[in-house]
Amino acid sequence: MSVHQQSVRDALYETPGSGARKAIAIVTALSIIALAGVLFYIGKVFYDNGQFDAKYWSFFTKYTTWRFLGQGLIGTLEAAALSGITAFIIGFVLMSARICHYKVLQMVSVAIIEFTRGVPTLLLIYFFFLIVPQLGINLPSIWRIALPVAISAGGVVAEVLRSGVNAVPKGQREAALSIGMGEVKTFVKIIFPQAMQYIIPALIAEMVIVVKDTTFAYVVNFPDLMQDAKVLLSNYDALLSVYLVVAVIYILINYLINKVSVVVARRMQTTPATR
Amino acid sequence: MSIGELLSQYGEKYLQALLTTWQLTFLSFAGAMVIGIIITVMRACPIKPLRAVGEFYVQIFRNIPGAALLILLVYALPNLSLVLPYFQCVLIATTLIPASFASEYLMSGINAIGIGQIEAARSLGMTFATMMRTVVIPQALRFSVLPLTNLLIATMLTTSLASQVPLNPMDLTGLVSYINTRVAGGVTSFLISAVMYCGTAIIIGQLGNLLDKKVRIMR
Repeated sequence: MSVHQQSVRDALYETPGSGARKAIAIVTALSIIALAGVLFYIGKVFYDNGQFDAKYWSFFTKYTTWRFLGQGLIGTLEAAALSGITAFIIGFVLMSARICHYKVLQMVSVAIIEFTRGVPTLLLIYFFFLIVPQLGINLPSIWRIALPVAISAGGVVAEVLRSGVNAVPKGQREAALSIGMGEVKTFVKIIFPQAMQYIIPALIAEMVIVVKDTTFAYVVNFPDLMQDAKVLLSNYDALLSVYLVVAVIYILINYLINKVSVVVARRMQTTPATR
Repeated sequence: MSIGELLSQYGEKYLQALLTTWQLTFLSFAGAMVIGIIITVMRACPIKPLRAVGEFYVQIFRNIPGAALLILLVYALPNLSLVLPYFQCVLIATTLIPASFASEYLMSGINAIGIGQIEAARSLGMTFATMMRTVVIPQALRFSVLPLTNLLIATMLTTSLASQVPLNPMDLTGLVSYINTRVAGGVTSFLISAVMYCGTAIIIGQLGNLLDKKVRIMR
């Protein structure tokens, strides 16, 4: 993808002549100066407000700080993993209902998928946090965050799975049926494994959304990275530095997930069945 | 509470909340498009540092969780002597994040055009500006109608961040939390907001499909 991207945007320009090269060099220099100016200004604002003071940053050299944040991170990863697995199960059930032969099941499935895609995760979180207990159901706090996040992602997963199943060439199913495999066995042994090949990168990328949504765990008092950050910043009275570090951690995690998705996508481009 | 009780007590609030959500959604989306276009121009221009800034922006804002960004804006900026009203904080967060996705979609819209057309335009003697105006931008926009429709829906979902700060009037998610921390609003109180969200999403989706059918390029 990135190789292709490079070539199209570079094709927009002719090879620059001597005049254009000079102009590009000048604008490049100017833009570097402008960027340096912006960075300097940001640094100055930080400095003027005393945000570079050692008291705001020194505790990041302590082992205990990182152990505490690490615990929060484990909480985040637990919630994300649980949500991811649950979302896959929900997505699989919805997808199966959508491609089955029963009209009613299809319609129910479509309605649920559209609903999950049109409602914000936060609203679902408040549903599980404030309204489900009114019905006398008390979920453990990890499920109060994992379930709404999973439902929200489940609709997307269902559509991704369906696109994978549709991408498997028709001949594969016909061949399997013609050698005497049943519908279910054909799906489990022939169609689904091939469908997964097409969509694993998309499923990995969906985990970014799951990780992002788990940041709302503080709403339900589940100890994740964000919640631990709150404790940390009240201990050291250092708001900006703690939140900046936590934001960077989240960005790095999600960046990594995206990268894995791209790498897996490139690896998987090898020879799926064509007919 | 029954739907009748809810509507008689909170009906007006629901209506105001719907309007707040719409307002946030459309302001954010408009802002996101403007920033997204600027970032895309930066990423496509031949000036290397500007390209780098564009790429950096996209990587930061498509990966940062909305809650983390909002908390930085609301609680951390005052430490830099910059205090913004809550509404503006929400608006900034729900604009900056979709802007990165807008740029991604516009970029892949440009990529979908194909080198052959650009080479053809150049061999006809078009200048860069003419080529951009008559070949690249119109097609890139057409290719991006459906992704941008989905982005508008995603932007609406992102505006639920508004429930995390005290706003008056509240948004649709904030109102559900407000009602249910006071009385047992029950499933209905959730469903009213959910239906308003879903209804908006369905309308946006239908309009996007119509527009896409009108402008799509058949090959």
